[in-house]
Amino acid sequence: MNRRHLLATAGLGLAAGALSACAPSSSSPAPGGSGGTTLTVWSWRPEDKDAYATFFQKYQDSHPGITVAFQTFKNTEYPQVLTTGLTGSNGPDIAQVQAYGKLQPYVDGGNLLPLDGEIAGLDKIDKAALAGATGRKDGKTYGVPFAVQTIQMFYNKALFAKHNLTAPTTWDEFIAVNDALLAAKITPIAVGGKDAWTLPVVHEALGSAVYGGIPFRDEVVAGKTDFTDPRFVASVQVLTDLQKYLPANVVGVSYTEAQSLFLAGQAAMFPGGSFEFGFFTSQNADLELGVFQVPPAPGAASSTALTPGYADGSWAINQATAHRAEALELLTWMASPEYGQLFADALGQMSPIEGVAPSQPLVAEMAKNYAEHPSRYLLLTDFRWGSPLGTDVMGNKLQELFLGKINATGVAEGVQKGIATWFTPSK
Amino acid sequence: MVHAVQVVPPTRRRRALGAHLGLASALGFLAPALLIFGVFVLYPMVTAFSYSLFSWSGTARGGFAGLANFVSLFTQEPYATEVPRAFGHNLLIFVGTVIGQNTIGLALAHALHHTTRGRRLFQTLYAMPYLVSPVVIGYLWTLLLSPTFGPVNKVLEAIGLGQLAVPWLGNPDTALWVVVLVAVWQWIGFPVLLYGAALGGVPPELTEAASLDGAGGWRRFRHITLPLITPAITTVTVLGFIAAMESFALPYAIGGSSGTPAGATDVLSLVFYRTAFESGDSNGIGLSSALATCLFVFIFGVAVLATRLMRKREESLT
Repeated sequence: MNRRHLLATAGLGLAAGALSACAPSSSSPAPGGSGGTTLTVWSWRPEDKDAYATFFQKYQDSHPGITVAFQTFKNTEYPQVLTTGLTGSNGPDIAQVQAYGKLQPYVDGGNLLPLDGEIAGLDKIDKAALAGATGRKDGKTYGVPFAVQTIQMFYNKALFAKHNLTAPTTWDEFIAVNDALLAAKITPIAVGGKDAWTLPVVHEALGSAVYGGIPFRDEVVAGKTDFTDPRFVASVQVLTDLQKYLPANVVGVSYTEAQSLFLAGQAAMFPGGSFEFGFFTSQNADLELGVFQVPPAPGAASSTALTPGYADGSWAINQATAHRAEALELLTWMASPEYGQLFADALGQMSPIEGVAPSQPLVAEMAKNYAEHPSRYLLLTDFRWGSPLGTDVMGNKLQELFLGKINATGVAEGVQKGIATWFTPSK
Repeated sequence: MVHAVQVVPPTRRRRALGAHLGLASALGFLAPALLIFGVFVLYPMVTAFSYSLFSWSGTARGGFAGLANFVSLFTQEPYATEVPRAFGHNLLIFVGTVIGQNTIGLALAHALHHTTRGRRLFQTLYAMPYLVSPVVIGYLWTLLLSPTFGPVNKVLEAIGLGQLAVPWLGNPDTALWVVVLVAVWQWIGFPVLLYGAALGGVPPELTEAASLDGAGGWRRFRHITLPLITPAITTVTVLGFIAAMESFALPYAIGGSSGTPAGATDVLSLVFYRTAFESGDSNGIGLSSALATCLFVFIFGVAVLATRLMRKREESLT
């Protein structure tokens, strides 16, 4: 091909691209038949595209005339893409939206349709997850949550067995396990303190029972106490007490290094979210993975161990959609146990919908722990509505704690000071 | 360049241009560039500025806020703490990189200028890191300096310098200087090339004459070479200033969006990023636009001022 041909071809290609970009997507005929409706659904999960294709195929089979066009975007670019889509004219009918504080800009902007009274089955969805899809100011529900994440301690079963250890049920047993591992020159608990966002998760895994979980949450939200409360300080103190069991120079260790330490068997435990399960099993299929809830430390406000939970996000309807009824019908299906089961089986995650049983035994165990002893990832579910985010302040303050710059009281005071810039207790 | 202006006075040149090219055709030739500049540079800048003058609730624009967003940046927490701290870090990065580039870069260029064997090879080698994305560079250095798996501390321990094997990126006292050193290391090829060209432009007869008059190596450098390469120093310094004030990719790759550890590597672009994309503040658009406007005005103002001052100094030196 000579130069002129090449240029001509390139020019044609460009022109064709430009033309197709101008064509409105809704004018393309729906394969479901003439006169059908195409519902556009946007998501930040390109890795789950195939799974969603099978879910929506099932829906299309039982709903002739409806075509679901599932489009995914890179998760780091998704917020900007969605903002543009929802405020402009070429937005989706249904969008995957983030939870809690990150939902609010769209609620405040009037971009999403309130779903109360429109969708059957909303009352059968986990409350902590539903709170993530609720408008802060008006208390209305704006989305159908798709997954629940729980926080617990993962452990390497083979490594435990090799050193004659079992999952601890009391604090003393937990400390004994840590000491035994330390004596065997194994890092007991893998923590990547360089990535500040992981530290509030670690705090929840180790300290939620110490501050007491939901009762404390209710008090702090109502303004009856604040984060300088001795219960919260004690929960932070637990991290200082356990620092010798974390990797040396923990603030210099990154999250991925902590994962590698655990995957390589150089560390025996990993405090983390249920979302780690998929990554751990995909990286090392031979890893014998177990989970346990960290037993309450002496003097803890809760007598039982707790599993904190939170929602990732939900499916919401664009206020500007031209297919409101069809979108509501699809979302009603996505709030049903039938859909929840498809989701849980295909993606190995916990569905927030009542009556859905996870198919993976370990996920089922995490779900059971959460159902029996639920708590909330407090700084995420209730303190991410303003700047600075509760989780950000906590992450930075915990780094200072591990660096020896401040103590547990300093962390609690720092969190309170940061949040007080925007948080006013509800009446 | 100075000579060219002297040969063709600006007034005559403008008239000559007009004689050959009508205003319409000139605009026709300029239009594509102007259009691209307008759409992709001017319009977003003006929009960002206009955004900063309004209060926002989420994506919906609220009422006219005047300078309230700008005031909030300096009075409202967490910005009142984070913005000055990040600004200080930007200045330290600037001072560190400019000192590094103007000393090490100039020394390397000077050494290469006086070698013939392997000059090209070394110029290429020095320029190599410059061709890799700062995000990749930052990530590679976090791996090298990792306290658990990193080879740097392993080597230090092996050669008996165990007391130097500190958690470089986990310690707030060293983390920012790691960013500075990596930045100097990455961009060193640029001053080396620039100074190489500038040194090549110094007429050899001047230095020869001076050495015949008995001037030593240092005096020749100080009184002949240095004044003649001042324009290159200006360029390196001003570009270094802009890069340091705008630096984002390297601190982001090394310390994440929160500038770990404990905010020690936080810079203004990261504050902007957090405010615009990660904050729960519903006025995020207003505040981040105000920050972007301040940053632009500061960089633009200082760059113009610095260029003016350095040009004056150049004139007095030559």
